[in-house]
Amino acid sequence: MRQASKPSSSRFFDINGWAFVSVAMALISVFMLYPIGKSLWMSVQSGQGTMTKFVGLGNVQRLLDDPMFLRALTNTSIFLVVQVPIMIVLALVMASCLNIPNLKGRGLLRTAVFLPCVTSLVAYSVLFKSMFSYDGVVNSTLMGLGLVSEAVPWLTDPFWARVVVIVAITWRWTGYNMIFYLAAMQNVDKSIYEAARIDGISATRRFLSITIPVLKPVILFTTVTSTIGTLQMFDEAMNITNGGPADSTLTLSLYIYNLSFKYVPNFGYAATVSYVIVVLVAILAFIQFYAAREREQ
Amino acid sequence: MHFAKPTTAVASLALASMGLMTAAAVSAKEVTVWAWDPNFNIAIMKEAAARYTAKHPDATFKIVDMSKADVEQKLQTMLASGVTKSLPDVVLVEDYNAQKYLRSFPGAFEPMSGVVNYAGFAKYKVDLMTIDGKTYGLPFDSGVTGMYYRKDLLAKAGFTDKDMENISWDRYIEIGKKVVATTGKKMLGIDPNDNGLIRVMMQSAGRWYFDKDGKLDIKNNPALKAALETQGKLFKAGIVKPVTNWAEYVGAVNKGDVASITTGVWITGSVKSEKGQSGQWGVAPTPALDIPGAGHASNLGGSSWYVLSGGKEKAQAIDFLNEIYAKDVDFYQSILTARGAVGTLLASRNGKAYAEADPFFGGAQVWQRYSDWLGKIPSVNYGIYTYEGDAAVSAQLPALNQGVPVDQLLDKIQQQLSAQIK
Amino acid sequence: MSQWSGKLRTALVYGFLWLMALLSIFPFVWMLISATNESHDITKGKMSFGNALTENYHKFAELFDVGLVFWNSGKVAILGSFLTLAVSSLAGYGFEIFRSPGRERVYQGVLLSMMIPFSALMIPLFILLASFDMLDTHMAVILPGIASAYMIFYFRQNTKSFPLELRDAARVDGLKEWQIFLFVYLPVMRSTYAAAFIIVFMTIWNSFLWPLIVLQSVELKTITLVLSSLGSSYTPDFGVIMVATILATIPTLVVFFAMQRQFVEGMLGSVK
Repeated sequence: MRQASKPSSSRFFDINGWAFVSVAMALISVFMLYPIGKSLWMSVQSGQGTMTKFVGLGNVQRLLDDPMFLRALTNTSIFLVVQVPIMIVLALVMASCLNIPNLKGRGLLRTAVFLPCVTSLVAYSVLFKSMFSYDGVVNSTLMGLGLVSEAVPWLTDPFWARVVVIVAITWRWTGYNMIFYLAAMQNVDKSIYEAARIDGISATRRFLSITIPVLKPVILFTTVTSTIGTLQMFDEAMNITNGGPADSTLTLSLYIYNLSFKYVPNFGYAATVSYVIVVLVAILAFIQFYAAREREQ
Repeated sequence: MHFAKPTTAVASLALASMGLMTAAAVSAKEVTVWAWDPNFNIAIMKEAAARYTAKHPDATFKIVDMSKADVEQKLQTMLASGVTKSLPDVVLVEDYNAQKYLRSFPGAFEPMSGVVNYAGFAKYKVDLMTIDGKTYGLPFDSGVTGMYYRKDLLAKAGFTDKDMENISWDRYIEIGKKVVATTGKKMLGIDPNDNGLIRVMMQSAGRWYFDKDGKLDIKNNPALKAALETQGKLFKAGIVKPVTNWAEYVGAVNKGDVASITTGVWITGSVKSEKGQSGQWGVAPTPALDIPGAGHASNLGGSSWYVLSGGKEKAQAIDFLNEIYAKDVDFYQSILTARGAVGTLLASRNGKAYAEADPFFGGAQVWQRYSDWLGKIPSVNYGIYTYEGDAAVSAQLPALNQGVPVDQLLDKIQQQLSAQIK
Repeated sequence: MSQWSGKLRTALVYGFLWLMALLSIFPFVWMLISATNESHDITKGKMSFGNALTENYHKFAELFDVGLVFWNSGKVAILGSFLTLAVSSLAGYGFEIFRSPGRERVYQGVLLSMMIPFSALMIPLFILLASFDMLDTHMAVILPGIASAYMIFYFRQNTKSFPLELRDAARVDGLKEWQIFLFVYLPVMRSTYAAAFIIVFMTIWNSFLWPLIVLQSVELKTITLVLSSLGSSYTPDFGVIMVATILATIPTLVVFFAMQRQFVEGMLGSVK
């Protein structure tokens, strides 16, 4: 831990400290704190459009009876529980594969896998939507390869629609997480691996006992950011399936959007749902940090 | 303007010139219009603007094209935040949403009851844009429904044009089964997650998700029940080709994979885009549900133009809409031929274009038939929660396709909707 | 380890990696192929090159002033990136170098704000900017994102690897704090800035929902708005969409390839 400057110049220290962060703090106050506050205020109101009245905790009560909210919550949870672990594991495996010494074409492979992260969410969503349509490319390829006998109703069946969304997000973000792991792995002293290999420790054990512990802070970082990202997922749900079919891919963020712009606008209730996301994010982030900290001891 | 007596001529002249000057000053600025669909609404609006500009050279128009969802989202954001600066003067609103906007944002839209002669429009259109006696929009296109069918495929299965007139849905299913058996083509395409057809069926019996007072009407709604059952039967009978989106829906027709399509008249342009099928299509009334009160006329979609009270050029906008959309019968002929737009101005139906026989449809007077049905569309109160209603029904469509009894579905729909309309 | 299982393992590794690479690239390839085909061929899943590329481009150019749209996106992205990097790095540096209990709490608050979903802030932000009379401007698109919690976090993490000796030496030389930041910190942290630039540039270039709400005029539209409106018409012309998508993706690709090395180095720094 590095020490702060000496107390004799503490006022100078303090002024400088605040000076550096002042612009950012001012902007955050205006563009983040005010909206958060206003949003909180809105969440205790309810009504159509501009005609609202105070309802206190009425919106929270409504949450519990709202089938669409419960569906959105279930979907978001499913995405979280399924997509994030798959992506993290996949990224770890890819990173360790790419980390193998004397790998031919490493640069090319790494670039290829990272490429999806460059696309805009709208662009790739529209792309995936056209690829997974009933007569689309994916079905014709699968049928051509003989893997399926008839076209898979990707976007019209609730189960498959969720699969498409999970596949899309995994496609888009795995490379991103992989780069973090790769960078961290390349920090690990190769000689440790050599020593372990000479000792006869299997590759899997080497991975689990050496690599993973070193990567723990990165894994934690990516897990937390992925969790936050998935909990807030919007663009894909909107542009690929628009929440359908039958609200099977409706996420909390999309529900908020619908409550504001598609259904009879109830901005107060929408604000309440958004705070549900905040609470979930806080809980999950806390759990993850806690779990990581405990093991360190 | 007519001056009744020469003695008042001077005063009238003075007033008129003042009026002209005001008019000139007003038309020096630009009327902004928001709409979607460059091939239909936008193109039609451009023509209307051109017609108006020909008579009022100082008027200019800025017609902004964006997706329907974008228009709605922007409109809602701006109205909710009370910001009127960036609002357009005229906006296109789908009829299903009319009441929602009018009721959620009182004062946002300009009533035109004193200016526009609403008696000249189809009643069902005027009703949906009226609140407390004031009417707000300018009725535009109709989504009057009909059934287009492939005469050649039906003939192969042994059916003539007469056999398709005024049939029930059960009869339609029987016919469909024969068509599939003899020609191998499906009878129609349906997006399993789209409840457009259900809405068509519901309205054909004069019912909706809500009753005339806007109260929830689900559990004891025989039309909704029959509509859901019918959709279930259509799929069960094996006569449906499932499609994923609009492009596939139209593609099924163009590629010849389906023998019929029952939806709003605005599909005509898409059906006719496959020139190779000319002469092979016929038109018949929408099939009817097998319940009392069910008819052969219904509506799907349709929108109208609304003037925003916060728009800068609202006077000019109202004048424009009134002059072209409420009075220019020739305009309606033009957009019918060019875009397949069936207007709801009753007088337009007497125009030349409406009486034409269309060789694509075997010489049938397609437009005449649609405009006949237009007059028979039952008025329903779409209420303000149509999207929520759709969502509640769509949520149960997979269950419907799996054969869950309709009564159970109705319960679920009722439950979801009552939670949404708080 | 027998040689045979070693070879098998290597084969599996290569096989897996190439499969992943293929799956990652495939949509891009398909995008390129589709851009040369007509819309109805694309929806049928045609996998071969056609010759409709120029036609598709012309249709696109007819609908939109392509140069203007890209100018808009570019202007917003570059300006936004510079401002974001400036403000966020100043803050990240400040939080790390001038630690104090008070500022730590403020920092934790900043981190917490990352958890607020944008959908909760949309409408209040919109009202706020309307009251500043800034709607329908490019600045309105940029402003809310400049003080990015994520970037502040990123710069603070990377500052941990900034050698304090350099700063102490500069102080001894009589440099003021802001001069240290400009003339010592900035050059040393070049790759951090490069990586940050890529991330921020890409984020702003690809941003959709906020510009959608804020921008009204056609002249100000960015490429994502254009893409979305192309894709959500009743009969989307996929050939045009693909051309637009490719054009929209090229700048981010260029930025990425140009700064790849610094990018990886920068991410390395944040991981420590």
